[in-house]
Amino acid sequence: MILRVFDPTNERKSAGGEPAPRLSSLKGKTIGFISNGKEGTQGFFAHLDRMLRDEFGVADIVYRRKANYSAPAAAAIVDEIKNWQAVVTGVGD
Amino acid sequence: MHLTSKAYDVDDFAAAQELYHSNGWTDGLPIVPPTEDDVAACLDWALMPPDQLVGIEPVRTQPITAEKLAINAVMAGCLPMHFPIVATAWQALMKEEFLLHGVTSSTGGAALLVIINGPIRLEIGANSTFNALANSDRATAAIGRAMRLALINLLDARPGGIDRSTLGHPGKFSYCIAEDEEDTTWQPLSVTRGIPGGVSAVTVMGAMAPRQIMNEWTKDPREILETFAAEMRANQRHYSIYGGNYAIVIPKQLREPIQDAGWTKRDIAEFVYERARIRRAEWAEVGKGAVVRDRGETVHTALDSPDHLLVIAAGGPAGGFGAVIAPWFGSKTKAVTAAIGACVDCEPPKD
Repeated sequence: MILRVFDPTNERKSAGGEPAPRLSSLKGKTIGFISNGKEGTQGFFAHLDRMLRDEFGVADIVYRRKANYSAPAAAAIVDEIKNWQAVVTGVGD
Repeated sequence: MHLTSKAYDVDDFAAAQELYHSNGWTDGLPIVPPTEDDVAACLDWALMPPDQLVGIEPVRTQPITAEKLAINAVMAGCLPMHFPIVATAWQALMKEEFLLHGVTSSTGGAALLVIINGPIRLEIGANSTFNALANSDRATAAIGRAMRLALINLLDARPGGIDRSTLGHPGKFSYCIAEDEEDTTWQPLSVTRGIPGGVSAVTVMGAMAPRQIMNEWTKDPREILETFAAEMRANQRHYSIYGGNYAIVIPKQLREPIQDAGWTKRDIAEFVYERARIRRAEWAEVGKGAVVRDRGETVHTALDSPDHLLVIAAGGPAGGFGAVIAPWFGSKTKAVTAAIGACVDCEPPKD
């Protein structure tokens, strides 16, 4: 006996985000850091800040922190992203 | 009824199991193969066309249709009469304040607790007494499992995928309880949360594992509830200090003396609100001194207000065993209650 059964997954998924075009160089660029606010992000971003400035010539780094580490960033933060050339979002577990 | 999901023809029951397991479409247990007749029967029972949009998950904006939910419900072992509960619980989950994405993706490892109230409990044969938080009956077992299977398949909440839980807990297989409304003088949970009496409803909560308490040596409501409050304080010390929706499950042996003393669920909530709180400095006693800093005298309440306690009457007739169910992380997620068979987004105009 043949059983006809059905796909239980979401075949109508909304399109997810896609990575932005890669930068050819970080020199002179402004990078945003969006922290989820957990303790562990502090050391991570401090180290990354030094690396980006000292080794890659990044001009400026803008720090933002989510109010709720389990929810998306506030719209005001997302709006700011267009002012930066790249953004790093970090989980501090 | 025309289903639009991709169909697969398999030789037999065993082949169906391999199809679903090999695609990562299960929780690791065997599933009921979702055939057209069974899926259609669920949709018919709930009077939902297959393409009805049950809701949109607000963070990843994923649409959830009735057909897809019904497929997952059949896989979990649901009968058609269970499906309206699954669909309503999903509507509740997708309310913004529930923060479903956080609950399901967090390392914290919370499950979805579903609490059923109203006449539908009796129609589906839910058992609110013996073993109430576990394998108490077919209906709650299957409904709880349907919630998880749908999360896995519709929102990709697979371990290591969207689900980043460090440990999780067994409630992630199924976590559903019906309140014992017949054997209590208290209002049903749904009524305390604004649903009219006599209306079937579900409450969903982002919930950690049950923490069991025992007190069989007093009939004083304050002493009984002090044991519950102490377990909440323990959770604040050992897990999360922040206030949120806690649930407490009170079995017959413990609730009778509380009821006999004339205490309502509101009285319970107000007492527990006062008692379940700790000073931040207590974290230093359990190895968390690093985050006490200069806030040692700050008092953290387990409940932001008495309204945030979900008091549930359930459990076998004998035994002074109750349970505290802590929220995932404080008030980041809020419990949501929805009437079954009613549109949760349809509010009458205010004017």
